[in-house]
Amino acid sequence: MFDFIQAVLDGILFGTIYSLIGIGFTLVFGVMHKINMAYAAASIGAAYIGLVSASAMKAASAWVVFGCSLVAGGVLGFLVYLICFHLIPLRNENATLMSTVGMLLLADELISHATTGAPQNYPATLEDVMFRFGEMSMRGDLVVVFGVSVVCTAALLLLLYRTRLGLATRAVAQQPIAAQLCGMRVAQVNTLTFVITGVLGGIAGALICSAVGSLSILLTGPLTVKGLIVTVIGGLGSVPGAIVAGLLVGGLENVFQHFRGVTERDMYVMLLLFAFLIFRPGGIFAKGQGRD
Amino acid sequence: MEFYFGLAQTIGIHTLLGLSAYIILLTGQMSLAQAAFYAIGAYVSGMLTVLWGWHIVPAMFAGAALGAAAAAAVGFPALRVKGLMLVIATLAFGEGVRLFFFNFDYQVQKGNIKVGPLGGEGFRQIRYFPENGWTSDEVMLFVWVFVILVMAMIWWFDRSRYGSVLRAVGDDELAAQSVGINLTAVKVSAMAIGGAVAGLAGSLYAHYTTHIEHLAFGVLQSVFAIAYPIIGGLASVFGTLAAVIFVQGFLVEGLRFLGDWRNLLFGLLIIVAMVVRPNGFLDGQMLRNFKRWFGIRSRNA
Repeated sequence: MFDFIQAVLDGILFGTIYSLIGIGFTLVFGVMHKINMAYAAASIGAAYIGLVSASAMKAASAWVVFGCSLVAGGVLGFLVYLICFHLIPLRNENATLMSTVGMLLLADELISHATTGAPQNYPATLEDVMFRFGEMSMRGDLVVVFGVSVVCTAALLLLLYRTRLGLATRAVAQQPIAAQLCGMRVAQVNTLTFVITGVLGGIAGALICSAVGSLSILLTGPLTVKGLIVTVIGGLGSVPGAIVAGLLVGGLENVFQHFRGVTERDMYVMLLLFAFLIFRPGGIFAKGQGRD
Repeated sequence: MEFYFGLAQTIGIHTLLGLSAYIILLTGQMSLAQAAFYAIGAYVSGMLTVLWGWHIVPAMFAGAALGAAAAAAVGFPALRVKGLMLVIATLAFGEGVRLFFFNFDYQVQKGNIKVGPLGGEGFRQIRYFPENGWTSDEVMLFVWVFVILVMAMIWWFDRSRYGSVLRAVGDDELAAQSVGINLTAVKVSAMAIGGAVAGLAGSLYAHYTTHIEHLAFGVLQSVFAIAYPIIGGLASVFGTLAAVIFVQGFLVEGLRFLGDWRNLLFGLLIIVAMVVRPNGFLDGQMLRNFKRWFGIRSRNA
């Protein structure tokens, strides 16, 4: 029984990373009604650039790496917007989606080229620290992951609901044409959304690498799939939904792993997604039958 | 010569894979599960010929039928919600199927070796062609018979009422619905046909390589499948064929001397192709140009 609760607890702590990635997908979807398939790969890319630039500055502390990853994430987000969305007519659904898929492959290959396919050691935030509560324990670095994710999410929610930029973002998400008629620069809001999600992605990428202990190309595929699953379960475009869905997927994933082992774990996560597609296609917080 | 037969077989199989995505793309949907239907076709037909000694043609049709059933099953819930949801649902489904085959063991004793799918090891010894004494030029002809049949079928679709319905849904769902087209029926049927074609491609692939494993059916394979028709353009089936010949013939084989850098080019090529020609190489305008140059009169010109 304790093992079970322990598994759920670890899963929820780790699930905050899925939440961050899910928020990135869902924000872009909310504002532009597009999916940025390159998001998770760019996040891992940002984490890698962070690692390289931190070691170039002779500062191997985890927090310096985080800072560099954050900046790199913002820059990569801007680049992805510029290449995949600015240069291609937005009403062409297939072309914009396909170009982000191309970006995903390109980012993937660039990372594997730069690392020559070998996993890179990533600095941990709190090494070998365990918090104990009777029978339970929590890995210190997972607690840091949880804490940083919560702070990022809170900052994002403040930005969205308490600033002019956030108001503009929500306005464009709701009605792009009306927002444009009110004098907002829609393209500028879109760009800023990409930069913000890029920053979030950089943090998430650095967090996941430090929690796993190494940066590897093998992370991008699962992270893309899990992030998209979280986005659908939370409801496309819903930020609170993505947060809750991330925790849900993280927790359940560990439960499945506890009972069925690591090789079968992801199969059940896919089944969970299909259960949601059939019974609640609008996501967790959908009002009634949410078909858009 | 063997090399060119092998290349022609690869191009044929990839053309089928591209066409399976083409017919779904006509309805404006994007499926990232083509590799899953491909895998289902490969494993099912391989098991039928190896474990139960079926003839290859009925085994291929069984693979195609199961591919179609899987496509309809994944399409039905996902298509009730809108376009981009399908991308995610199919992506997850594709990974789910790959993981299923990663965990799938079913081996029987045959002679003095064990044959059948074995989890991560994959499924070895699908030796239908060598056991029955087919030479590689015969295999190539066999593959291309199916490629030509499927291309002809889809080319004919494009000229029939069904093709117009597919394109109407792809152009404007709302308009199509308001003239009484049943969107779900059209999309699910397109998915099923796409699944069947992918299953057929998978069956051919399994027997051509003789060894299949889950890694061959990852997201990358699905990306290839949709990249061909999108790069080639959706105006005609020949766009897909041109894109496959370009990618497999030139990019993969022709640039082999570039080594690892070749993989970088593929992602870059997709981005550049989309920036330069968002509607693909062979779009409506290009098709009309070709017809004019070669003096083919369009029926509705």
